[in-house]
Amino acid sequence: MIKAYRVAAILAAIIGLHHANAAELNVYAAASLTDAMNEVAAEYGKQSGDKIIFNFGASSLLARQIKEKAPADLFFSADEAKMDDLQKAGLIATDTRRDLLSNSLVIVVPNDSKATIASPGELLGKMEKIAIADPKAVPAGIYTKEYLSRLGLWEKLEPKMVPTENVRAALAAVESGNVDAGFVYKTDANISNKVKIAFSVPAEKGPAIRYPIAIVKDSVNKTGAENFLHYLESENARKIFEHYGFIVKF
Amino acid sequence: MKLEIRQLVLPLEQFAIELDVDLDNARTAIFGPSGSGKTSLLEIIAGLRRPQTAEIRLDGQLFESTAQSYSLPIRSRRIGYVPQDDSLFPHFSVRRNLLYGSKGHANDRVLSFDHITEFLEIGSLLHRDVRSLSRGENQRVAVGRALLSAPRLLLLDEPLTGLDAKLKQTILSKLQSLHGEFGTPILYVTHDPAEAIQICDEVVMIESGRIIRRGDPRKLLA
Amino acid sequence: MLLAPGEWQIVRFTLAACALSTVLILPVGLAIAWPLARHRWPGKLLVETLVTLPLVLPPVATGLLLLKFFGRRGPLGNFLHQQLGIDIVFTWRAVVVAAAVMSFPLLVRSARVGFQSVNQRLEQIARTLGASNARVFFTVTLPLASRGIVAGIVLAFARAVGEFGATILVAGNIPRKTTTLSLEIFESVQLGHDATAYRLLLLCIVIAFGAVWLSEVLMKRSQLR
Repeated sequence: MIKAYRVAAILAAIIGLHHANAAELNVYAAASLTDAMNEVAAEYGKQSGDKIIFNFGASSLLARQIKEKAPADLFFSADEAKMDDLQKAGLIATDTRRDLLSNSLVIVVPNDSKATIASPGELLGKMEKIAIADPKAVPAGIYTKEYLSRLGLWEKLEPKMVPTENVRAALAAVESGNVDAGFVYKTDANISNKVKIAFSVPAEKGPAIRYPIAIVKDSVNKTGAENFLHYLESENARKIFEHYGFIVKF
Repeated sequence: MKLEIRQLVLPLEQFAIELDVDLDNARTAIFGPSGSGKTSLLEIIAGLRRPQTAEIRLDGQLFESTAQSYSLPIRSRRIGYVPQDDSLFPHFSVRRNLLYGSKGHANDRVLSFDHITEFLEIGSLLHRDVRSLSRGENQRVAVGRALLSAPRLLLLDEPLTGLDAKLKQTILSKLQSLHGEFGTPILYVTHDPAEAIQICDEVVMIESGRIIRRGDPRKLLA
Repeated sequence: MLLAPGEWQIVRFTLAACALSTVLILPVGLAIAWPLARHRWPGKLLVETLVTLPLVLPPVATGLLLLKFFGRRGPLGNFLHQQLGIDIVFTWRAVVVAAAVMSFPLLVRSARVGFQSVNQRLEQIARTLGASNARVFFTVTLPLASRGIVAGIVLAFARAVGEFGATILVAGNIPRKTTTLSLEIFESVQLGHDATAYRLLLLCIVIAFGAVWLSEVLMKRSQLR
């Protein structure tokens, strides 16, 4: 009995020591960055001992969590509004903020769909249900609404919209075939082999999509955050981002 | 009426009922101590219980034949049944209880609603809530309900249990003249010799599931 | 404490969808509760387990199963979409389906207890009086089981109104089309609209009181005949 306790105590000490040495980095990043960031972090892990823990989700959800003091070290948002929000609340280290990436919007349809879309206006006649990240809060949805409003199509298309919690959920809805089409980022369309792009929003006509990143003011691992942020602007990282289809802004 | 019971066997906890008997008296008592199998016998006749083996006929119609795997459904037997415990439908008024099995029979001249309610003196109870009835009232309504379904045979299982002597006597005299009034044969189960003597012309005495004697109640039970 | 017009629409929709789902599960629920209460038969354990499943599985898990089954590519959903042009997923029908499935076990369990509490002697007496099985069921069994059945209906309705996990998966939260009271409260909290969330919460409490009061009234009525 006593021997078992001693072994357990020693094990606990070893585990505790191990944790004390390797730093953890909590990175809160937009859902659309999931695959690219996982790969970047894997590469980063080869040269640094830091363990990167991701929290992927809608930028609106992540921003709210940070406002409620969730233990984030870095915030990588899919639009400026969420970052501005946190900046106004004094929750980010303003001097570390910068725009890293951009993206473009596409309309995707299930792989077995026979629909062709020459312009967004055609959605009116051909589509019953269109998936979109919640346009009330999620960047991808906000960008889409902005774009369609500019074209004068939003009012007419709104009844067809099926809002989802984040852009990956919109992608999944299209993959499942339960909606006829969806608005997602080009990078999301790229990673899925169950959907195909029916229409690409041209860069000049589309909304200005910006992915800002910043270190959270209350971060407990500022050094680790700086190191990782620096790595995100390196050649290695750029190659990975471009591979996934992101437009690199640095 | 002619009730033919052949090779009836029903194992119970302490013993097995084993009977072979023809009953043809319109006012027959089944007499025996508690636990002698009287209630089970009634239940088998009514169809509420399955025997292990039996062949039963009423007025020539086959009711039960285990040999042929045949059992006439309860609702087709037209046997009235008044059990020992309260059996009125608690969610119906007295009137609805009475009329439950009547179909068109309520207009029958002899077994008419008015005739029966008058005879049993339950006219004043018609709109009462069943749950407010005394035991005596309860049993009279139960008899009335069974009668109104125009049964070929009326089974009564110790219906007067729990009544005081005066009340018993009132109802006993009604039961005594029931057959005369309505023509319905009765099979009356009891452990009280006085009841059997007053109401019935023939008694079948049962002990531990077997018939030990039968005959005139005044001779056998006095 | 007035609600905005949009909120009234959500309340009306929620109550209507849940009333419909409860009405739909009632005959099926009774038809299953009755044999479960009375007889022993092969496959009974399997049916009991299937009926209890939505009660025990996490609601989103049930929602996932419904999504697979009723989605355009699922067995039933495909048939409905191709042959009848009807969609279930992401429409009000999915709200009704999710509510029905999730509240079904509660109805069956309560109704079963109700049926089991019926004195079978009374059913037998009814038969001696010439009643067919159907007549016995409707005039004796059902009324005497009404306590349990009404309790089951109220529970099922309340569960339907409170349903969230399966609904959000299979119906989504589409404004003016599939938004229920629960979904609206969730969204209000998500967006930080606390005042709205609390107002709707209060409304839920009012509905709960209403449901319990109604069940008491029905109980009393069933005892007065």
